[in-house]
Amino acid sequence: MSDLAELRRLVGAAAASLEASRPRIDDLNVYPVPDGDTGTNMALTVRSLVEALETAEDGPRPALAHTVTRAALMGARGNSGVILSQIVRGAAEVLGAAETLDSAVVAEALRAASDAAYRGVRQPVEGTILTVVREMAEEAEARAASELAPGELLRAVLERGEAALARTPELLDVLRDANVLDAGGAGLVEIVRGLVAAVTGEELTVRAPAPTLGLEAIHRELSEFRYCTAFLVEGAGLDGESLERELEALGDSLLVVGDESALKVHVHTDDPGAALSLGTARGAISGVEIADMHVQTAQREERLATAVLATPSDRVSDVVAVVAGAGNRRLYESLGAARIVEGGQSMNPSTAELVDAIEGIQAREVVVLPNNANVIMSAEQAAAIAGKPARIVPTRSIQAGLSALLAYDPGATASENEEAMREAIGAVATGAVTTASRDVELNGLKIQEGQYLGLLEEEPLVGGESFDEVASAVIEALLSSPHDTMTVLTGEGAPGIDDLLEAVAMRHPDVEVDVQPGGQPHYHLLIAAE
Amino acid sequence: MELTAENTAVVVDSTADFPDAQARFPNWRVVPLYVLFGDESFRDYVELPAADFYARLRTSSVMPTTSQPTPGDFASVYEELAGYERVYSFHLSAKFSGTWESAKLGAGEKVGRRIRVVDTESASLGITLLGLGVQRRLEQGTTDEEIETLVDAFKRDAGLVFTVDTLEFLARGGRIGRAQAWAGELLSIKPILTIDDGEIVPVKRVRGNKKAFAEFTKTVEERTVDRPSLRVAIAHAAAPERERALRSMIRDVRPSAQIEAAGMLGPVVGTHAGPGAVGFFWFDDS
Repeated sequence: MSDLAELRRLVGAAAASLEASRPRIDDLNVYPVPDGDTGTNMALTVRSLVEALETAEDGPRPALAHTVTRAALMGARGNSGVILSQIVRGAAEVLGAAETLDSAVVAEALRAASDAAYRGVRQPVEGTILTVVREMAEEAEARAASELAPGELLRAVLERGEAALARTPELLDVLRDANVLDAGGAGLVEIVRGLVAAVTGEELTVRAPAPTLGLEAIHRELSEFRYCTAFLVEGAGLDGESLERELEALGDSLLVVGDESALKVHVHTDDPGAALSLGTARGAISGVEIADMHVQTAQREERLATAVLATPSDRVSDVVAVVAGAGNRRLYESLGAARIVEGGQSMNPSTAELVDAIEGIQAREVVVLPNNANVIMSAEQAAAIAGKPARIVPTRSIQAGLSALLAYDPGATASENEEAMREAIGAVATGAVTTASRDVELNGLKIQEGQYLGLLEEEPLVGGESFDEVASAVIEALLSSPHDTMTVLTGEGAPGIDDLLEAVAMRHPDVEVDVQPGGQPHYHLLIAAE
Repeated sequence: MELTAENTAVVVDSTADFPDAQARFPNWRVVPLYVLFGDESFRDYVELPAADFYARLRTSSVMPTTSQPTPGDFASVYEELAGYERVYSFHLSAKFSGTWESAKLGAGEKVGRRIRVVDTESASLGITLLGLGVQRRLEQGTTDEEIETLVDAFKRDAGLVFTVDTLEFLARGGRIGRAQAWAGELLSIKPILTIDDGEIVPVKRVRGNKKAFAEFTKTVEERTVDRPSLRVAIAHAAAPERERALRSMIRDVRPSAQIEAAGMLGPVVGTHAGPGAVGFFWFDDS
């Protein structure tokens, strides 16, 4: 087998293993908020490797190693994806240069992978993927001299990785409190499990059944089709499976759920009419929603083009921001952000998407607002790769990013803007209200799945059944220090907040409140106080 | 030739927002611009006092527009001042209005000789601050050279900052200048603006009135020195509480400064700034 074919097989096995555990890893969030799902991020990062290898041509090992390194770097999503790309880089450098692949080389590659991962983070924290990769490297080094077959060596490495993963809650309080293992470490273990299966020829053992995909998860996939089409079919004796088969021919991101009397249909297609016809052939359709996924992009490009014409050359720096929600996107654009990368909570953009955005702007320099703690590293990686000077302002939320953007001056350099924006975000306090995605006990606070969860500076503050009570508690906490302006971004399907705002106005008559429809998923309210 | 308040007249247009000029100084005249609500035309201040204008703005179904005085309006005022040996005529930035052009045409062949028509590159009480500086010199006896030096110093050193509740009024009237970049913003933002080179220029955008006020304070502290020669003026568009707040701020941070003028923006300036606008002007006439 050629090196390329072997590499494809190995990476494919790693991807399959990770994919099988992806939902389980996604659920290993420390906080029960959907915040950059680690399993999805790592799976998409590995998938970019698979895709790069599909189109790669066979060549000498160093060239293949370069291809792999580059693909991981560009495909990296979220902090876990970025660290994984460093692990891949470290290992690829050693393996690409090696003459033969024996146990000693594997140990050396793991050590290089571990070192690269530690170098990739500014402040390495134990109890994370770093601990897992380091212990894996130590295990391999300890056994390198024993002349084990690579498959056997990898099996030992896997076992050590599992043990290290199991200990992550002992090393990191936040994991212990949340009663979860480190998600990045879990992802790495699954990757190695896939490699062991490929090398030894054994069958892959899947750890947990994958839960069925929800609508949300399906939307995380990017679609080549134009119209997001959803509708409900009501009738008698409906056959979901046959409908699904016929819809399959029309597009992707397909979901048909329900029973004999009602089926909910969701599909991305270029021909929504045909999809609807399949529904009407079976029963009465209702709740039809057709969204043109291309139109927003087109409108924005049009606006950008006119803006560029109006202000020809006086833009020294442009802003790239990672934003979720149509309303938030409009807010950012209205404040002068030149390019919006869709994403944030639960859909972290890849390094490649950020590089594209940075390189696609008109001005000479770029300021990037990652707007999520889990995107900051990809943004830094993108800035390092991109062929344009880019500065990262480490904004951790959409609402904090808005305050940074207010300080933006298109006529100033990226570093001048960075300074002004960092100062601006220093004066902002942020909060949010979401729904807990699982039971959790944090800082002595018990929150049940499905309850409202109030966050202050991304940390859980309060939980409960009453939206108004939870939201009030967050707002009171924000306004307990002197602030005179409060911005509230309402999420997709957020409860009404008129009564809540009236109460705030009574208690804090001096605070100016600005409510905007943000339309972000998952977070009912994003709140900033300045 | 020595110029005095007896032999030299001062003309401003109504956008100087100094409607009482002639009552205070017999050698001053104000030439009104026009404000139009649909087909109805009013002479600024004279036929439509500022308070009435803002009341009308709240209920009117049509938005007001403005137009410059005719050359004839200027010609008749200059004729009325035929007894003065010299006339200084100070006007709104020529980048905002044809008023300055109209004044030059109205002065006819006397322009540049007996009648000196000046583009102040400013607006509102900025024009008044310059006029008052000229008046102080006239009252002590001065020369054309001194006044020219003063005008140059004003254009170089005088400053202003203002903020509006919405950029909509500036945009609709086509006076938005480089603040265009901030038009259409969805978040409620207070733009801090200035006039530079006769054109509106954005300085900074902040959230809320308190931060806008803090920005005004910062500007005063950074751009001025506390001494009696510092002359300041405050204008507001139907927002007297903001004027009061600025007034007490000035007394706090620049106790030696003289507040030379304070009042409401007239109908013409108000048409372009919109209700809630507030401006702060300064000129260190040392």
